[in-house]
Amino acid sequence: MEAFYLIKVGEILLKLGNRREFEERLRSQLQRRFASVGLAHKIEMYPGRFFVTVPEEQAADAEFLLSRTPGINGYARAIKAAKSVEAVLEAAVEVARGQMARGKRKFKAESRRSDKSFPLGSFELSARIGDAVLEALPESRVDLHHPEFTINAEIRERAYVFADAEPGLRGLPSGSGGKGLLLLSGGIDSPVAGYMMARRGLAIDALYFHAYPYTSQEARDKVERLARVLSTYTGGLDLWTAPFTETQLKIKRDAREDLTTLMMRAAMMQAAQFLAESIEANCIVTGESLGQVASQTAENLRFTQSVTDFPVLRPLAGMDKEDTIALAKGIGTFDISILPYEDCCVLFSPKHPLLRAKLERERAAYDRLALEPFLRESLSKAERVEIPLSLIARQAAAEVRP
Amino acid sequence: MVYLDWASTSPPDSEILAEAGRVATEFFGNPSSRHGPGSAARSKLEEARTRLAAAILGEAAASPATPRGRFAFTGGGTEADGIPLLSLLRAALGARRDGSVKRLHLVTTEIEHAAVYEEALLLKSLGIGVSFVGPEPDGRVDPRKIAAAVEKDSALVAVMAVNNETGAIQPLSEISKAVAAAAAAFGRSPPRLHVDAVQALGKVRFDPASAGAGSAAFSAHKLGGPRGIGALWAAASLETLSVGGGQEGSLRPGTESLQGAWAFAAAAAYARDSFARRADHARELETRLISGLSSIPGALALPLGRGPSDERYSPYILSAAFPGLSGEVLVRSLSDSGIAVSAGSACSSNSKRAGRRVMRAMGLPEDIALSSIRVSSGEGTTKADIDAFLEAASLAYRRLKA
Repeated sequence: MEAFYLIKVGEILLKLGNRREFEERLRSQLQRRFASVGLAHKIEMYPGRFFVTVPEEQAADAEFLLSRTPGINGYARAIKAAKSVEAVLEAAVEVARGQMARGKRKFKAESRRSDKSFPLGSFELSARIGDAVLEALPESRVDLHHPEFTINAEIRERAYVFADAEPGLRGLPSGSGGKGLLLLSGGIDSPVAGYMMARRGLAIDALYFHAYPYTSQEARDKVERLARVLSTYTGGLDLWTAPFTETQLKIKRDAREDLTTLMMRAAMMQAAQFLAESIEANCIVTGESLGQVASQTAENLRFTQSVTDFPVLRPLAGMDKEDTIALAKGIGTFDISILPYEDCCVLFSPKHPLLRAKLERERAAYDRLALEPFLRESLSKAERVEIPLSLIARQAAAEVRP
Repeated sequence: MVYLDWASTSPPDSEILAEAGRVATEFFGNPSSRHGPGSAARSKLEEARTRLAAAILGEAAASPATPRGRFAFTGGGTEADGIPLLSLLRAALGARRDGSVKRLHLVTTEIEHAAVYEEALLLKSLGIGVSFVGPEPDGRVDPRKIAAAVEKDSALVAVMAVNNETGAIQPLSEISKAVAAAAAAFGRSPPRLHVDAVQALGKVRFDPASAGAGSAAFSAHKLGGPRGIGALWAAASLETLSVGGGQEGSLRPGTESLQGAWAFAAAAAYARDSFARRADHARELETRLISGLSSIPGALALPLGRGPSDERYSPYILSAAFPGLSGEVLVRSLSDSGIAVSAGSACSSNSKRAGRRVMRAMGLPEDIALSSIRVSSGEGTTKADIDAFLEAASLAYRRLKA
């Protein structure tokens, strides 16, 4: 048996000029994502609607992918029917039976008809569906104002009958916004930032700075686990791990104590710039949030971003921490982020870090550190791990309700 | 590999393990069975018990004619600690016919191993009154403070013999006397004293009866024996919380491990026979270690003020602080140089705060507590091992400290 899904495409419709390109991008994204987890599938594409068919036993996997692919507004398990009144009514009863098996009783019917040759108008068809369901399933009740489920019938190139659509991620298909380099740490914020930008159509590569022995192998493994969850939204990603110990030691040695955190942030930003250039990313993404910690005042952000000419996207800049945490829980990264492997930073960050960087002065201090050779060296030793989209996260995945 | 983590576990003695395997294979019967193989296994098990008792208490005390208490084999040191502690629950819940809970009180210390400390927290959460007594800066608890914590309904006092992080030997005889006096002031008999003697066995002189203990916990794998076997010595019977087939005098129900018991007895006998020789060796290494540390600028032996050959400490265990460098980072760095030490107790290394509980309890400042590591030696440790540690630690400290 096959599971057949109707997919509502999202914002794509608003971008009439680029519609074809965006739809094509979404189609190829779906293709790639289904293929990368070995899901046999068939995709059909019509304006404003996609259809995916998968084997029944892989329905749960398919729904997991559909719920995490940006650019999808919603999806519904549907029945394909011939364009006859009888066939539509029969499908409607089957859909209703499925809903009632989940304990729902009150329903309404909604019909749309783009094929005007269909013998019934939308209103009439809805009424006939109501009658047919009531007759076949005497327990059911029509309730137009507070239905527990809606039976949708769409008469297009074929007839499609389905109950309420599950919400998708919405947003834009991956890659439509180009590629962003995400500064990924083991914390709560950066995975959320990556998720948010992935949803806005950015393809994502991630960069993690590994300062062994200050940061442990467990910390690195944790970042890889976060990347795995993130990859279910981005459709796979490259995780770059750059050794950062030498740079960190150099900063510790040569920078004024209250500037060490700031100089470290700037160094990371500059390293990101170098990597972004070489992988042809067009922006840098960070989890910074205004005022969250000392290094994230507006003055300090101005300083740290002064070492790059890429746009630095900070989707969490205006978010409250509680909201970020709720989102992290929703996307399934929170429980990984709070694993206790970050050990060194707390102890050795400066006791009174500089809060308000003066751009010229701090830039001069940064330039005097002459970190570029250290950063180039670090990137030349960086390891790239391809994190394919996988279904590992499916079991643990919490429901996403962005 | 330079192994300096003997307090976590010691390399097993292969001859002891092989011999115990042979005995358990030959005498395979269930010691509770009333047939030939069963009673043969029973007599071997009792032989192991007598040998263990002789090794720990001395020949006279172990003689069946004049028994002093009784040893029950357990699944390890942690279980041997848990049995007397959890017995408080049975006493509290089972005391009254009307089902009400009798108020009972436990006195213990802030420096206990997790096997006691976590158990005490559990008891507290279940309604048993618990007082935690802090140590003095030298890592030893003051008997007067223990006595002051004794209440009218104190049923148990749990104090370890040797602290697993500092090596501090606790003044048990003074404690039991002070506790008895405090109880007398309430007009009652003294509460039982339970001693976690896991780090004492074979390392410092410890006789549970003359220390005034009512029960004591031991473990085999700290002295060349295998994991999964420990012993609980009890002066009198205990109402335990777990029941079953009544084995081990009902202290530890479950089919006995002859293999474990035999190996434990052999390891304990060996430890007794080699005690003086090993102790001299350990003192020599300790002296080398402490004087070596004093030549590393900034490094400190803990507890502050501990010098070589101080009778207050086990020579086998030494904590050292490297302020400005987190203990975990140093442990990783040393591990890369082929040197195994631990950051605090390996059993509590999973959580950063808990791992420094003992250091904090002694009133050490945060940067010293967090930068502490534990070096523990054993029979196989050589001077060259100590020198290799000192050299690697000195290098790592110079390179990595803030």
